[in-house]
Amino acid sequence: MDLSLMAILLLIGSFITYFVSRSNKKVGSYLTILITLFALMYVYILKNNIGLTYELFGVITFKVTYLGWYFSIIMATVYFSAAFFNPFWMEKFLYPSQYNLMYLLSFLGTIGLFFSNDLLTIFIFWEITVWTSTFIIPLGKSRKAGVMYFVISSIGSMGLLFTLMLMYNKVGTLEISKVFNMLANEPKLASIVFVMFILSGLTKMGIFPFHIWLPQAHGNAPNTFSPVLSGGLVKMGGFITFLSVGVFPAYEAFKDGLHIAGIPILIYIMMLLGAVSIIVGTLMAIKSEDAKKLLAYSSVANGGYILIGILLADQLGLAGGMMHMLNHAFASAASFLAIAVVAYKTNTTKISELGGMIHKMPVTYTVFLISIISLAGIPPMGGFVSKWLIIQALADKGLLLIAFAAFFGSIGSFLYVFRPLSAVFLGQVAERNENLTPPSNMMRVPMIFLAGLVLYFGVLPRGVLEIIGKIQASVGITPVELNGQAIMAVNGNLDALKVFVIFGFGFVLALLLFLAFKKPRKVDLMDTYTSAEFIYTKELYHYAHDFYAPFERLYGNHPSVEKWADQISYKVKEVGDLVNKVFFNFNPSLSILWITVLIVIIYLGGVII
Amino acid sequence: MNLINFLQAIGIVLFAFIFQTSLTGINRKITARIQRRRGPVWYQQFLDIFKALTKTSITHGWIYDFGVIMALGGIAATLMMVPIAGFESFPGMDNIFIITYLLAVGMLGMAMSASGSGNPWAAIGVSRALTSMLAYDIPFMLVMIGLIFKFDTASLSNFAALQQTGSIVTWNIIKYPIGGFVALISLQGMLGKKPFDNFIAPAEIASGPMVEYGGKHLGMLFILHELSTFIEVGLIVNIFFGGGPTVIAFLVKYVIVYTLTNMVSQVLARFKVDQMVMFYYKVPLALAFIQGFIIVITNSGGVLWF
Repeated sequence: MDLSLMAILLLIGSFITYFVSRSNKKVGSYLTILITLFALMYVYILKNNIGLTYELFGVITFKVTYLGWYFSIIMATVYFSAAFFNPFWMEKFLYPSQYNLMYLLSFLGTIGLFFSNDLLTIFIFWEITVWTSTFIIPLGKSRKAGVMYFVISSIGSMGLLFTLMLMYNKVGTLEISKVFNMLANEPKLASIVFVMFILSGLTKMGIFPFHIWLPQAHGNAPNTFSPVLSGGLVKMGGFITFLSVGVFPAYEAFKDGLHIAGIPILIYIMMLLGAVSIIVGTLMAIKSEDAKKLLAYSSVANGGYILIGILLADQLGLAGGMMHMLNHAFASAASFLAIAVVAYKTNTTKISELGGMIHKMPVTYTVFLISIISLAGIPPMGGFVSKWLIIQALADKGLLLIAFAAFFGSIGSFLYVFRPLSAVFLGQVAERNENLTPPSNMMRVPMIFLAGLVLYFGVLPRGVLEIIGKIQASVGITPVELNGQAIMAVNGNLDALKVFVIFGFGFVLALLLFLAFKKPRKVDLMDTYTSAEFIYTKELYHYAHDFYAPFERLYGNHPSVEKWADQISYKVKEVGDLVNKVFFNFNPSLSILWITVLIVIIYLGGVII
Repeated sequence: MNLINFLQAIGIVLFAFIFQTSLTGINRKITARIQRRRGPVWYQQFLDIFKALTKTSITHGWIYDFGVIMALGGIAATLMMVPIAGFESFPGMDNIFIITYLLAVGMLGMAMSASGSGNPWAAIGVSRALTSMLAYDIPFMLVMIGLIFKFDTASLSNFAALQQTGSIVTWNIIKYPIGGFVALISLQGMLGKKPFDNFIAPAEIASGPMVEYGGKHLGMLFILHELSTFIEVGLIVNIFFGGGPTVIAFLVKYVIVYTLTNMVSQVLARFKVDQMVMFYYKVPLALAFIQGFIIVITNSGGVLWF
């Protein structure tokens, strides 16, 4: 099993898909499913090749590691599941063959990134992913979203490029482990490299103040690509973050500097950014009127957890952060897919225009329920295990400010996950949605698959944690301690299987009590207590708009990064206009003036020198 | 886990139900005395519950039924993990975070069922209930972070055991009075007692989440309410009042804490939901931070920056 071969096959496959799509877009979209499935299986088999290195075209070098394998499996699963939705959207796209090509190329970019052995390879594949996804996003609702995504991604790309050039100048090699090991004894250089390198991770993960692209891009991207963006591409940021504290000896390099509660100040600041992301993401998600934007803001908040967990770089925190990445990837992909089904049937994702979908698509509802329970970190889903690990690590270190954000995000997530649950899936069915047909089985398969994984990792987390333990061991951190299915933490244990069994036991007891008494009589949804009002319009009887109005009022006048960014772009445009007016005028005499001035300057310059 | 554990768990649930329901009855009497009424008999709460259970009821679809079952199941499961005077039906499962998050499953089930009824009053009630949760839970959890940092354990029975080494002075409410005060205010919110009862608000939003329920659904929700009260008061008694070396001591403390909460509730008026959030984020949250910083700084030898 050769990794370079796989990369070439993927490349060829994506172009074949492109040409097939040119003649028949349906067949092309089915090819995306087959190729991602092939890649998923190929990556799975690569587990036997841990430690081997591969070369491609003489420049690109790969190394198969547990870290890369773990990330690639997550990514391939997400891409594979979302690909099932591609055939349904082929009719809606302006450029379907281009979409299929970009879909597979961006996938290739992520896989290449995760197995990179040197900084140049990281940069090449990073750029492949950024460029290809930039062309997918405008196929959705907004062109501006694509531009915004590209601009913010470029900030990260520049950080990466800067690190690459600086290190090549200093060390003369680009191999990740060699480059970073050399920095352990140079705290000043290390701090510059650390900030520049992690910058690319922060932008990709949507950490404050770079979070503004997520709601734009996730909210406006094609419904089939939003799950990949949120469940997949954002995780590239997690990979970079891991490199910058796991492989990069950050704690060792900063050991003589200022510390707060045992954390070097630079890392602590990054954690604070993560904490701010959690709070901002939660507050904005609570007041979002669009289901996809709401999930995008929840990705911002969950990105904060992942960042904090990984930056702790210890036995519990790192395990929590890494596992949260997997849980969030699957749960967020599943919930975006569920919303995609709703959007496919009703042509809207605005929360206040929907309602009562549970009566039309109960399977989609169940999938959505499972995935958002996981997003909120409630047992017995996977999100609970990982959040529990992160909070244990924070309590152990006594990081109060960060813990406050973690709790705020945790309880706040109950608020925002309940909103689409209640207003989109529960409540009254609007008249125009009375005659919806149920979604096809092809849409149900990937959703049930992902929801099943979310539940599975919440009940039996051992498999994942064993892999994470190996990743931890490979970078010299004590692996997370397991005993059967139980996780042994410093302050207490968590046996997720037992929690599930006890919950099931309680459920059975309640079910028996329910069945023991008289069978209830079924009544219509409009047949409810109305305080003696007579209402016949179902829409009026559905509480969906401004769901948390009293709470939203409390932070209605918040400062916003978006406005600030808008102002900056306005100023830049003004300066550009000025330059345009002065130098690139339609008036030829002005151009002649500048040319003359230039010649004079050159002439004088020559004389003076 | 074997059969004995499960039988013990059922025993715990039955005991908690009978005990808390009687206590609710007695407190209805106390409330009446405060308001200069005679009040119902002490077992009135039992009569209400059994009457509701045996009546015919309506349903608004499968989620309406499923939510109620999930809610009661989740709360009952949570209760099985709460240690009572050192006794646990499932040893080692009494981690504070497991209990508080599993409690949320029950709450989510109830919220889902209420919204599934299609009644907007219910949805408004749920929105208020969740907002209140965001207010009262965070100061409490912050205090808990401080205590876990101090004692290196997150297990409720360990917390209780650590306080039973000496006299009343070893109780956390005495040792950490600020944190204890915050926890008591949070308890007032958790139990939905005035001034924090805006999500039920009977005269204002037609009982909120409960508006559609009748018959056995309502009966099960009454049971749920008694069980969740037992969990929440039990948490506070275990963490701040030294649990109980004996069952009697535990129950005496429990009765005192619960009755005090109820009496405070009877002399206060209701906060609006935004007022409640502002209140919790001003006073208890600030106090929780102060308590937390005191613990963290004293524990690290007075040095936070180095």
